[in-house]
Amino acid sequence: MKNTGVRQKYHIRTTEKETLASFYRLLIRGRSWDDRAPNYLKQAIGWSYHAPAAGHEGIQLAIGQTFNKETDHLFPYYRDLVTCVSAGLTSEEIVYNGISKDPDVAGGGRHMSNHFAKPEWNIHNVSSSTGNHALHAAGVARAMKKYKHKGVVICSQGESSVSEGYVYEAINGASNEKLPVIFVIQDNGYGISVPKKDQTANRKVANNFTGFKNLRIIHCNGKDVFDSMNAMTEAKEWVLENSCPVIVQANCVRIHSHSNSDRHELYRDDYELNYVTEYDPVAKYRRLLLRYSRFTEEELVKIEEEIKAEVKAAHKKGLAAPDPNPDSIYDFVIAEPYQSEKYPEGIHDNDGPRKKMIEAINETMKAEFRINPDTYIWGQDIAYKEKGGIFNVTKGMQKEFGIERVFNAPIAEDYILGTANGMSRFDPKIRIVAEGAEFADYFWPAMEQFVETSHEYWRSKGQFSPNITIRLASGGYIGGGLYHSQTIEGSLTTFPGVRVVYPSFADDAAGLLRTALRSEGITVFLEPKALYNAPIAATPVPDDFEVPFGKARIRKEGKDLSIFTYGNTTHMCIEAVEQYEKEKEYSIEIIDLRSLLPLDKDAIIDSVRKTGKVLIVHEDKVFSGFGAEIAATIADEAFEFLDGPLRRVGATFTPVGFNRILEKAILPNTGKILEAIKQLIEY
Amino acid sequence: MLVVALGEENTEKVNAETVTGDQILSFDNLIFGVPTWFDGELPNYWDEFVPELEDMTLKGKRIAVFGNGDQKNYPENFADGIGIMADLLENRGARIVGFTSAKGYDFESSKALRGDEFAGLALDFENQPRQNKERIGKWAEQLKKEFV
Repeated sequence: MKNTGVRQKYHIRTTEKETLASFYRLLIRGRSWDDRAPNYLKQAIGWSYHAPAAGHEGIQLAIGQTFNKETDHLFPYYRDLVTCVSAGLTSEEIVYNGISKDPDVAGGGRHMSNHFAKPEWNIHNVSSSTGNHALHAAGVARAMKKYKHKGVVICSQGESSVSEGYVYEAINGASNEKLPVIFVIQDNGYGISVPKKDQTANRKVANNFTGFKNLRIIHCNGKDVFDSMNAMTEAKEWVLENSCPVIVQANCVRIHSHSNSDRHELYRDDYELNYVTEYDPVAKYRRLLLRYSRFTEEELVKIEEEIKAEVKAAHKKGLAAPDPNPDSIYDFVIAEPYQSEKYPEGIHDNDGPRKKMIEAINETMKAEFRINPDTYIWGQDIAYKEKGGIFNVTKGMQKEFGIERVFNAPIAEDYILGTANGMSRFDPKIRIVAEGAEFADYFWPAMEQFVETSHEYWRSKGQFSPNITIRLASGGYIGGGLYHSQTIEGSLTTFPGVRVVYPSFADDAAGLLRTALRSEGITVFLEPKALYNAPIAATPVPDDFEVPFGKARIRKEGKDLSIFTYGNTTHMCIEAVEQYEKEKEYSIEIIDLRSLLPLDKDAIIDSVRKTGKVLIVHEDKVFSGFGAEIAATIADEAFEFLDGPLRRVGATFTPVGFNRILEKAILPNTGKILEAIKQLIEY
Repeated sequence: MLVVALGEENTEKVNAETVTGDQILSFDNLIFGVPTWFDGELPNYWDEFVPELEDMTLKGKRIAVFGNGDQKNYPENFADGIGIMADLLENRGARIVGFTSAKGYDFESSKALRGDEFAGLALDFENQPRQNKERIGKWAEQLKKEFV
């Protein structure tokens, strides 16, 4: 079938025989594994998740053939077995992934089966969260464009995944930024059992995007090898010529159930099950080869026998391959951070002029951007003319480093973080500062990508580290109400694979930020916005200051009570202790944690050992706030040193009200801390 | 129904699933039955014939196309198969006959449309089955005049 406007390079009559034979080998290799996969589950060997590719082979073959591992990036989805075979994965690599063996090139059996990948070749290891790699595709394409790299990004997904908001964000961003991405939508008519009429009004979901600028839409028959090859070839050539995205929507059939946990006979009638089988792309290709006398039956059987033997041999290798070692589970949780040689404890004795926290952050970013040309920052409202963010933290950065490195993002938090993830994939030397949201309160739409990004290093067994610093203006005390007061470390610290830091003073903000910008991995940098310009948070800041992760700072030594705190409440604790010690003959130790993840447990336990009494103070809610983890750690590892109950001071278990009277009643303050100190000391 | 309307003595039925180029070339007047599949595709038996068709010379042939579509469930691609096939045949020199008015149908778009007419007879067995007899009858009378 011809596709309007698409050049017909591939044709059953004219395509070279060796090419046709290569296609047939790939199709049979893919179909063989697709057919065999359920057997591994039946025999309890593995492959417990299998989304069959059968019915998608035309477009999947074409995706793999279009991909060039030397220049391109490929994001396959969980149904892309034939895509990956066509892109070059061997039978051994397929079975190792299928049955989750240690040699699995996607990530050593860490990720779910049928999620084929080969990061070494830029065939990316993607999430099961369907279509969320569309954001990564846009991100790596942005990097390609910035580094003037000639190549394309191919992002493959099912048609139902286009219902996800982040897919819209990705296509919108690619259109707006003119990014070299081919979004391939493999349309088999169903999202598990949900027919596409329940997803969107257009039967061809790509047509929802017809109003987008800088975007071409190509439709093809994904069941037909030649139509798919022509569509993908055209798409790639057009992207390379125009540096703009293309959507290729390929009509496929799903011959089997969605996956092995689905029973399609419950929602598809016999007529449908029969005709989708009749439209099998592999069978059609075979018929064409014979009908147009390009191959004889004997030649095709010979290829089938060769693949059969190859698959059999790979199966044996798969069974004999080692399983992942359970002792390896803590390997590759997060990449190693930058190690400070000059400031191993993150402490200095500089007595220069005091700088406000906002200056310290701004100047540190500028200093690092001057040193490292592969640094970038973007976010909402961060760079337009003289403005540098709602709080002016990024003031002057675009002027100094240019719009290619310092630029605004759309109001799409998931896009901001997802494209940071994607851009990291282009080159490990790239360091990204993502202002995750205008306020931490608005970071929640990005949680999908936050979770995703936290998994990358572990899931790929250390093959990909997203090197991102997520800055968030956090916390209350500004009369901001429910949506300008949130402090979200209690949620963010539940995810392995990230670091979370929360400075209280200008020097620590500078030192932690410098370390984050020089490290691999993700660092969430929470900025107590009430302290940006607060004189109490101003300190001398050495130009080269560095604070290692996981190093708490003793703000004041003491022997009768330990206070563990961070962020805004550090200053309240200092004030409360000063007041208390003026009146009483006790000495109280204040530990500014600075880094929550990793947590300096040694500093905590050493202090508890010394004082025997503990007060944990933070701005977030007491219930299920980060202090609960500190308290549990102490109870678990330092119980014998305690001489009183573990007490916590924090916000009430309510949102933060707008009226200042409500805010005061809800958030912790010096008075509440002082009262807790008294109670504990007197206990 | 169409054969009856045209007169069985005047027609010869050929199975599209096995038809060859030589068979097609043996007729001067032809009628292609081309249902629309999926979101606007030819059925496999026609699609797989297309490479052969692309090499044929159909100059002097008068060809009419009819096919089933579904206006309600596939309104964006109603009877596309008729239009796709008509284009292919025209490109090979055939003269397409049997155009019909698109009045009385309710759809969004169709590759079969040529102005306000279909390049053949669009049938809708799902949604307008009662109109089939009249539409086929009228079309047969039209073809009798347009065929040589």
